[in-house]
Amino acid sequence: MSDILKIENLTVAAEETELLHGVDLAVGEGETHVLMGQNGAGKSTLGSTIMGSPEYKVTGGKIIFDGEDITEESADKRAKRGIFLSFQNPVEIPGITLSEFLRNAAEQQTGKRVKLWDHKKKLAAAMEVLGMDSSYADRDLNVGFSGGEKKKAEILQLLILKPRFAILDETDSGLDVDAVKTVSKGIEEYRKSVGGTLLVITHNAKILEELSVDATHILVNGRIAKEGDGKLAADVLENGFEKYVGEEN
Amino acid sequence: MKEKTQVTDIDRSLYDFRYEEDESDFLEGGITPSIIEEISKEKNDPEWMREFRLNSLEIYNKTPMVNWGASIDGLDVDNIVTYIRPKTRMNKDWDSVPDNIKETFERLGIPQAERESLAGVGAQYDSELVYHNVREEVAKSGVVYTDLESAMHDPKYAELIRSHFMKLVPPTDHKFAALHGAVWSGGSFVYVPEGVKLDIPLQSYFRLNAKGAGQFEHTLIILEKNSYLHFIEGCSAPKYYEAGLHAGCVELYVAEGASLRYSTIENWSKNMYNLNTKRAIVEEGGKIEWVSGSFGSHVSYLYPMSILNGRGASAEFTGITFAGEGQDLDTGAKIVHNAPDTSSYMNTKSISKSGGKSTFRSAVVVNKNAVGSKSSVNCESLMLDRISRSDTVPVIDVKTDKCDVGHEAKIGRISDEAIFYLTSRGLSEEEARAMIVRGFADNVSKELPLEYAVEMNNLIGLEMHGSVG
Amino acid sequence: MENVKLNTLPVPTFSSLGVNFAEREIEISGPEHISVGANEQKQIIRYIDRESDAFTALDLNIESGADVKLVQVFERTAPLVSKLDIALGDNAKLDLVQIYIGGSDTVSEIGAKLNGRKAVFNADIAMKLDGKDKIDLNLVSEQFGKKTVSDIKLGAVLSGEARKIFKGTIDFKNGAVGAKGSEHEDALLLSEDVVSKTVPVILCAEEDVEGNHGATVGRLDERHVFYLRSRGLDEEKIYELMARSKLLQAIDKTGDEQTNSRIYKALGWGERDE
Repeated sequence: MSDILKIENLTVAAEETELLHGVDLAVGEGETHVLMGQNGAGKSTLGSTIMGSPEYKVTGGKIIFDGEDITEESADKRAKRGIFLSFQNPVEIPGITLSEFLRNAAEQQTGKRVKLWDHKKKLAAAMEVLGMDSSYADRDLNVGFSGGEKKKAEILQLLILKPRFAILDETDSGLDVDAVKTVSKGIEEYRKSVGGTLLVITHNAKILEELSVDATHILVNGRIAKEGDGKLAADVLENGFEKYVGEEN
Repeated sequence: MKEKTQVTDIDRSLYDFRYEEDESDFLEGGITPSIIEEISKEKNDPEWMREFRLNSLEIYNKTPMVNWGASIDGLDVDNIVTYIRPKTRMNKDWDSVPDNIKETFERLGIPQAERESLAGVGAQYDSELVYHNVREEVAKSGVVYTDLESAMHDPKYAELIRSHFMKLVPPTDHKFAALHGAVWSGGSFVYVPEGVKLDIPLQSYFRLNAKGAGQFEHTLIILEKNSYLHFIEGCSAPKYYEAGLHAGCVELYVAEGASLRYSTIENWSKNMYNLNTKRAIVEEGGKIEWVSGSFGSHVSYLYPMSILNGRGASAEFTGITFAGEGQDLDTGAKIVHNAPDTSSYMNTKSISKSGGKSTFRSAVVVNKNAVGSKSSVNCESLMLDRISRSDTVPVIDVKTDKCDVGHEAKIGRISDEAIFYLTSRGLSEEEARAMIVRGFADNVSKELPLEYAVEMNNLIGLEMHGSVG
Repeated sequence: MENVKLNTLPVPTFSSLGVNFAEREIEISGPEHISVGANEQKQIIRYIDRESDAFTALDLNIESGADVKLVQVFERTAPLVSKLDIALGDNAKLDLVQIYIGGSDTVSEIGAKLNGRKAVFNADIAMKLDGKDKIDLNLVSEQFGKKTVSDIKLGAVLSGEARKIFKGTIDFKNGAVGAKGSEHEDALLLSEDVVSKTVPVILCAEEDVEGNHGATVGRLDERHVFYLRSRGLDEEKIYELMARSKLLQAIDKTGDEQTNSRIYKALGWGERDE
């Protein structure tokens, strides 16, 4: 199984401050990887940079997706390659409904017109998996959604767009037990129906209880401190990060 | 990593077409009393109207030009040929309209609209109503929708028109109102009898065709007690090199308990000067709702005014203005609270792009007798680049303590966050911006009937194509 | 004496509203020039309450990094024209506090030029007018420099036959990238004979800015009144408290005990309850 994503010696800065200092990371196709670290370690920075956020500047190194260097590519081109980021704090876009937006995004992906009826059917089915009330489809995108609702809406997009590589940024944070179950269900559904690759970013990992993890990466102060398999994630869950802090140098 | 694109001229070819002018004849020169006499004679005006026109011309000559707002220096009114009369007389039946005129309207979508459940279409071609068709249901309900000129001659409505015509917007109001009073031509007359509520919107569509011609149509709508009407006004004109002028007038009378919704999409061509005066007077318990999308025209002055004249009367104004390259759009609204317990609500948005200038001027006036009144104004402006301008000049004038008036305005740009979010879902940056701007204009598009909302979204798409990097 | 046109709105509006400008016959003198040097800190307190003060003009130049507080208390009966011109350099800051108490005819013009990068202009204004008091205030904040900040707040309480015109303009010039401007007026009207005109203007020639302005004019919010009632206060007391709170926002910013005492006395408030 080849690596779908390879990050080589990546340094990233924002507003003149360097946030990631030479990160190396590889993810095999179809695998589920976990990226852990304390607050401020740089996890979201890495996730957003892989997606192509204009907030961060790559000052060194490369991002290689499917064997191609995408370091300079714009976010929409990366999306068309099949990269998806579930945002930690999705922005509100008034005036566009969730349904319209998803239909547009789906059309971007295939380059073909999506029939309204087909779209509505798919949307309804996905919303059912997530236990989302159908009225959300006609609400303006993320406007007035609670934290939990926003996260579910992100997972809904995951199910509709079916990307090859999905980065989930703190998808479980701030959710109650039931919400975590629902989100996990959605992720499971995604893995079953798409067989895609997952990079789960988290610092608290309730979500990992439902997933089978192939590899764990621990980020400390902008550097990879330790890598291991699923057991490493379990260890951190139980014992915390302390023993890895200091190992990043 | 944004890609800079050339600023492309907005593709308006969908609307920029015209015919040879052999269909029409012109009245030469500027505006003299003899021209007014001629117009009056052509139209077979009743004596009172002939005098009214001459009186208005006098007022016009004595009134100084408006000296604030967008510059109208490029407009030489005296050379604007004021009256164009096409060969065709008014028709009740689409089939008998001459081919080239028919084609114009066909391309502008009128017959399609006709096929859908719209009640009737009054279409103005070069200063006169050419095609007019009132559906049976509408006619049965007692709603009168006809051209103003023939209604003026109809004994059933002559007195009604005489007692209302330019009483709400008198010729003394400003120079272009006086011009209008002198040379007005064509326009609609709508009368809704007491208690009649028309579910289907009435629409009117007018177009300026001949070079240098002015549009001076007059819309007079009278709603009797407890009635309801939705009237849609939408217009378009082809591109010219000589200044085109639109100095229309709209007078809306809303009686007790009646409710009128007046929707407009203005999509005049970029050389047009759009100087339009719209006014509504609302009696006890009545309501006026304005829905307004301003896109086209070179220079625009547009301040629909609502006078809340009876207890509990209310006004709502929802508008969007899109000022693109070479445009100077001066729009806004005025609301006067002149009775107790009246309420008003304004929600306006403006977009400035490619060097365009958008100025929003509003006035909320609460008179001493407007005890218990409430007003809420919300304006939002979106700047799409560094070369455009957006100015907001609202005035709140309160003369009583027993009222609640609130005002909020915001200005800003499209956030990088929002662009990133949408591009991360595969939309190009250009598409993302267009989507956000359409969402921004949602306040208006959701109030319009579907085909108008679609037209508006298409217009936004056209305007957004090619953003400054 | 000369006839002078002042308080001109940068962009005029419908002339029938009578807010485009003001004209007065005045004897011009001054202006007084005050320059605050780089990184200096200075506090200036002026109490303008003499009948003979018919015209006062102050030109305030604040160099880079300086931090200035200017307090002007206008306790008036006779007419007055006041002009204040401010220029701010890089990282310079001005906290302006203006308190207007009475005045048969006050015309006040404030022009701030935020020239330098990250210059900050805060204005906290309170107005208490009664009887036949009249005030016409025109504040224009021109933001030229990058990341400049304007924050303008007005609290007004009008009773009797008072007349107030407040024009506040935030002008984002091209080049003021990252600038922020905010303006808010809160006017409490207490009699049916008052006239309150508010013109909150935003002019913008730059894309990357954040501007907002708000105004609330009229009676008290019914929800606030209900809440206070449910805590045992009667209507008169409620209005007294709410009127005070609208004015206190600016008064609390003077930072000078003596000045505050004089203000409370002028307002008839006695000692401030803790």
